[in-house]
Amino acid sequence: MLYIKCPYCGHRSQKEFAYGGDGTIKRPELNQEISDAKWNEFVYLRKSPRGKHIELWHHIAGCRQWFKVQRDTVTHEIFQTSKTNEELK
Amino acid sequence: MTNISPLNFVHTTGKFGDYDGKQENDLLKVKELNGLLIFQIAKYKDSNFDLSKIKIDGLNLPSSLKSSSNLNTRILWLGPDNWLVFSSILDLIVKEKKQFDELNFAITNISHSRTIIELEGNLVNEVLKKGCPLDVNTFKEGDCANSVYNGITITIDFISNKPNKVRILGLRSFGESLYHSITDACLEFGYKAI
Repeated sequence: MLYIKCPYCGHRSQKEFAYGGDGTIKRPELNQEISDAKWNEFVYLRKSPRGKHIELWHHIAGCRQWFKVQRDTVTHEIFQTSKTNEELK
Repeated sequence: MTNISPLNFVHTTGKFGDYDGKQENDLLKVKELNGLLIFQIAKYKDSNFDLSKIKIDGLNLPSSLKSSSNLNTRILWLGPDNWLVFSSILDLIVKEKKQFDELNFAITNISHSRTIIELEGNLVNEVLKKGCPLDVNTFKEGDCANSVYNGITITIDFISNKPNKVRILGLRSFGESLYHSITDACLEFGYKAI
């Protein structure tokens, strides 16, 4: 069981959260021509890193906010969390 | 139209569980609260409205994980720019609505869609610990928190420390399951449904 620090509510049990995937993916610019390959990459292709990974989590049974988490995919250690409009240091 | 409380068919008064030989004050008390006005206030993300100007039944909007209250009304913090108001003044939303212009706020009446269970007694925290992952001992009077109880999403309003009293709010559709979860956890200690 992970113990995750929500930037709004503080430390809470993993039971209150939902995992939201890779937190570094950027949506292609609006109103730009984009190839099928690029769109496919944005929608489907994800890295599966071993080690530190920035991911999105949703405090779904809490404040209902999305936020970023830097977690080690091997040890599950959580190094830091931040609001989505803030950069992880 | 007839209003039927969410726990109308499950909440029966009486003593249950291991109540034998225990004094009335040692028993947990379980009560359903109904007939309240409940509404949600959401401030839009791009709004710069000054929240300190807002007063609902004389109360300010509380900060993170806090509640503000008077005899009739309680306001709970649900998340950033999001509050839940419940009040026994049934026309409060009409009285206070002019403070909330449509460019900055969304006000939604959700009186029909919540179950409220009030728990009182020395062992309230033990009941909460059985199904809720919160560190409940760290919460005090005037705090509130969203969490889960046996997988059911809830909001806990910590009403007072002496006597220990909390209100647990859940979705109406989960009301029966939540009630059964909570009363099942109370059986070990003995409880009085009032």
